[in-house]
Amino acid sequence: MSTVTSTGTRRPFHVGRWFRATGWRHVIGITMSIFAIFPLLYVLSASLNPSGTLISANALFSVFDFGSYTRLFDLPQQPYAAWYGNTLVIGITTSICTVFLGAMAAYSFSRMRFTGRRVGLLALLLVQMFPQLLAVVAIFLLLNGISDIFPAIGLDTQIGLIMVYLGGALGVNTYLMYGFFNTVPTSIDEAAKIDGAGHARIFFTIILRLVAPILAVVGLLSFIGTTNEFVIASIVLIEPEKQTLAVGLYQFVSDEFSKNYSIFAAGAVLAALPVMALFLYLQKYIVSGLTAGSVK
Amino acid sequence: MSITKPRAPRTTPVPHPTSTSLRVLVVKIAALAIVDAISLYALFIVGAQRDWIVFAAIVVVTVIVNVVYFSRRFLPAKYLVPGVIFLVVFQVFIIGYTAYIAFTNYGTGHNSTKEDAVAALIGSSQERVEDSPAYGLTVVESLGTYSFLVTDPDGDVSIGNADNPLSPVDNATIEGGVAVGIPGYNTLTFSQIVAAQETIAGLTVQISDDQNDGALRTPDGSSAFVYRSNLVYDETAATMTNSTTGVVYSDTGVGAFTASNGEELLPGWKIEIGFDNFARAFGDESIRGPLFSVALWTFAFAFLSVATTFLLGLFLAVVFNDRRMRGRKVYRVMMILPYAFPAFLSALVWAGMLNRDFGFVNQVLFGGADIPWLTNEWLAKVSIILVNLWLGFPYMFLVCTGALQSIPEELQEAATMDGAKPWAVFRFIKMPLLLVSIAPLLISSFAFNFNNFNLIYMLTNGGPRDVSAGVNVGATDILISMVYKVAFVGAGRDYGLASAFSIIIFVLVGVIAALSFRATKSLEELN
Amino acid sequence: MVHHSRGRLAAGAVLLTAALALTACSASEPGDSTDSAGSLTVWVDADRAAVLKDAAAEFTKESGVEVKLVQKDFADIQEQFIAQVPTGKGPDITIGAHDWLGNFVTNGVVAPVELGDKAGDFQEVAVTAMSFDGVTYGVPYSIENIAMLRNTALAPTAPTSYDDMIAMGKSAGTEFPFIVQVGPESDPYHLYPFQTSFGAPVFGTNADGSYNADELTIGDAGGDQFATWLAQQGAAGNLNISLTGDLAKEKFNAGASPFFLTGPWNVADAQAAGIDVAVDPIPAPGPNAAQPFVGVQGFFVSAKSTNTLAASEFLTNYIATESVQTALYEVGKRAPALTASFEAASADPIIAGFGEVGATAVPMPNIPEMGSVWQFWGVTEAAIIGGQADPVGLWQKMAADVQGAI
Repeated sequence: MSTVTSTGTRRPFHVGRWFRATGWRHVIGITMSIFAIFPLLYVLSASLNPSGTLISANALFSVFDFGSYTRLFDLPQQPYAAWYGNTLVIGITTSICTVFLGAMAAYSFSRMRFTGRRVGLLALLLVQMFPQLLAVVAIFLLLNGISDIFPAIGLDTQIGLIMVYLGGALGVNTYLMYGFFNTVPTSIDEAAKIDGAGHARIFFTIILRLVAPILAVVGLLSFIGTTNEFVIASIVLIEPEKQTLAVGLYQFVSDEFSKNYSIFAAGAVLAALPVMALFLYLQKYIVSGLTAGSVK
Repeated sequence: MSITKPRAPRTTPVPHPTSTSLRVLVVKIAALAIVDAISLYALFIVGAQRDWIVFAAIVVVTVIVNVVYFSRRFLPAKYLVPGVIFLVVFQVFIIGYTAYIAFTNYGTGHNSTKEDAVAALIGSSQERVEDSPAYGLTVVESLGTYSFLVTDPDGDVSIGNADNPLSPVDNATIEGGVAVGIPGYNTLTFSQIVAAQETIAGLTVQISDDQNDGALRTPDGSSAFVYRSNLVYDETAATMTNSTTGVVYSDTGVGAFTASNGEELLPGWKIEIGFDNFARAFGDESIRGPLFSVALWTFAFAFLSVATTFLLGLFLAVVFNDRRMRGRKVYRVMMILPYAFPAFLSALVWAGMLNRDFGFVNQVLFGGADIPWLTNEWLAKVSIILVNLWLGFPYMFLVCTGALQSIPEELQEAATMDGAKPWAVFRFIKMPLLLVSIAPLLISSFAFNFNNFNLIYMLTNGGPRDVSAGVNVGATDILISMVYKVAFVGAGRDYGLASAFSIIIFVLVGVIAALSFRATKSLEELN
Repeated sequence: MVHHSRGRLAAGAVLLTAALALTACSASEPGDSTDSAGSLTVWVDADRAAVLKDAAAEFTKESGVEVKLVQKDFADIQEQFIAQVPTGKGPDITIGAHDWLGNFVTNGVVAPVELGDKAGDFQEVAVTAMSFDGVTYGVPYSIENIAMLRNTALAPTAPTSYDDMIAMGKSAGTEFPFIVQVGPESDPYHLYPFQTSFGAPVFGTNADGSYNADELTIGDAGGDQFATWLAQQGAAGNLNISLTGDLAKEKFNAGASPFFLTGPWNVADAQAAGIDVAVDPIPAPGPNAAQPFVGVQGFFVSAKSTNTLAASEFLTNYIATESVQTALYEVGKRAPALTASFEAASADPIIAGFGEVGATAVPMPNIPEMGSVWQFWGVTEAAIIGGQADPVGLWQKMAADVQGAI
């Protein structure tokens, strides 16, 4: 990519040509960035104004005070630092396991033919469509039952919560990977088989590398989904030290009479950082064109 | 698909597997042994609790896991079993549980067992006898029997236990006006009381031979009061009798003690009631009236949400997928920002921005206009779609960006060289390939938005509502939020009815999804 | 060959599961090894957790009973308590609001508490609020109600009547003559004092002060007058359905109005914003006194608690004592429900001001029928304020709908 752009700049610069090639993309990029970011400026502004509310009318950034950020780490009843750590642990574990379980399932759906394959694929889709009105009650009862047998993976444990999240590992993500797996030619498998590789070796050492972009996308989706989920997490995790960011943040504003928007906003801003960092990190896997290169 | 088939790859030589085979086998056996050991442990505990359904489930799962991984057959299963176990335990269970609840009267007033209901009724019917004194109490014990040593306000001391009504004593040790001990009995310390609190809290001591005078009970171990219960439970007849009015309440099979005039004592208990909830779901006037318009809006909302987010997401993914463009990384991060913040926070911000009199949109963008974004029936619908577009396009952007990578660059280059216009390349080459992997996601996104309760609830709560309609359903209510209001808002929560609705909606969405699934032919394509 | 590589995958998968399970086994054992005099699990929200922490530690020192505070989201407690108590996993004690009580009793999840002779030590409204069908179920801890906050810089004296307040507000030249949060679905709680001033409470009352669900009084003649008044105020711009709770607070704190009808929870932030506030009685636009709702917060004991004696001991002989209630007030600044502690706290003019209004107030109904009222009440008020249709017609329609729902 660097060669393309550098040769571009060496030539005489034509605005018209530049615009037709990439300039219009920047116009769209800037417009959409404004659309995407603008509402979040309210959050940032609120986080910098310790006495303000979330929708501090229309006077954005009238105060610059990092007090809410420091107070965030200074609340004995709301251990923000612990929440942060928990969220990272739960989010990363869940996304890694989700990618692993989902990729295995997608591999078998993509590469193997067995009875019940089509029904299985359809069922995966349908299961995700069930209205989750009672999910909270059911999950509480289930983990309650598990607690009676293995207290360490039941209620009020992070492993319990991760297991609940892994219940959704197969599903939409599997489809995404399945579609991508299908674009990897089976001739690759066949060639490896001739070289004497078993199915597991093909899966782990060849296919997984070829589908890295989609693994990264699924991992990211799973990480974001996990870190933003608070309904189930608030049922499963009871002790404040074990809770996640989403649960904790929600508490800051759910009480009608003691809302603290500023701290809440500061917490949300910090909570968005890992997602952005992860995305920045994963981008190279998502768009590096690894597939095209290795398949050539 | 034939066009995508590139040349056969030159794979790197695969190391020969025999070197690791023995170790792998050992690890595999060890791992399965651990799984089996854990299962065995669980079986012991579950067996001790005599929960045979769970017992059988654990046995079945363990056998399946062992068979699948020890046998040379069942190759697909080796890849599917781990994920499917989690899926079945945590997702299918929810469906099964909901289905079960749909056939019960579970909800406010019917949320536990009959034993709990009896205990709660008896507990709350204990009334302190009016103007009766508070007794100072010391709990004493003799030969394993607990007795109450009580001092009445006049300073008279008596003792009694479960079998013997109070009788006066005069040899008690008095401290501070209260009897604290008596020869022949051990005085219990507070921690001893707490250790035996279930027994002591359940202890009733008749104050005289006449039961109607009431009995002493202690709420805290240090004082005792005279209570009389106005409900009497007859275990053999399974009836509750109100001893003041004489009304007999019996178990008539409706999940509550019911008098002959139909009056119910609540709490009742959970029973199975067959298809009643489904009959109510179809017969409920507050549902049937607005059903058509709500269903129409639900479909429109779900369709428009998918269409707008997908088109915008795809468009942006394509725009930023050009290698010549600088700063793509930064733009991409900007695009997923709305997704990185909790949705409930974003909904709060949007609600504020769309406020008619004070919001940013009206005040700044529209120069002080008072456009009722969230309070006009149609504008509220537009606002919901708009906010959902903001919330949802990053997802589609990510997914499309990922899926675009599976399309080899050569394809585009080849087509462009053949003279195809960029749009034609996109429309006829990229799009069909993309849809192969994206189509199922669109269907599932449709289903998700069909049940997108949170967005509606946080942004408008279904409003604005036409108050003259007399039903608690607003212009932006979708089916699931209407169900929520019918089953959960108002006098109580009716989980049974909510479950029945869940099942009905599930069947509805499922049929639509299955049909569109066939229509996309995404399965046939690759067989 | 195939078999071996398959084995590796199998091993990986099994290991993953096993690792999860193993950490499980090693981490802890079921059943706690308490050698003290037992333990109590108490659900509290984050605010009160801080308040109760010291009190709980003190109680543990005195009695040997360990008190385990579990932090919950206040908004979730009601539902989770009802869902979890029947499973036997719920807490022994939970904090709660008195208007949840009807729901708790109907679901059989709370046990009565015997305040004994201590009942007289509490403010009467607190004990009434914590009772249902003549039985007391909760130990009250704090009392809250709304009153009129006044920005003394903009309005030096208390208004004598509602019209006087509006006139004072207008002459102050601020953006609003007075502020009350209304919102797109209105806010019947905050508008209730105005409603009662026209003589239209929601329900009639029994002799003992409890509400009578069979006697719906919201649609009485007073209700029609109130509806007409709402429409007038909406047209005059004194009530605005765009003014949500957050905006209302922000506007008052920015000095956009001399008056703010709100509760004690907004006082600290107003003072922090540099506003010198006074608390006044609520001026009545109608012929009767303006009575707001009182909210009582307190502690409930689970019906399935196996620690009932320890729980009662903690609540009645500890939380209900003057020293503890005063200490709780000092940490949390919520008006105590115990009369003696309340009087001590009244040295603070803010507390005294709210307390004075609260003395005339009525408890928010805790009967389950109230749920049917809420769902029609707010939207109807909003429609009337927005001038959508004939106010009296809408109000009567609402009364009929509520009656139908009950």
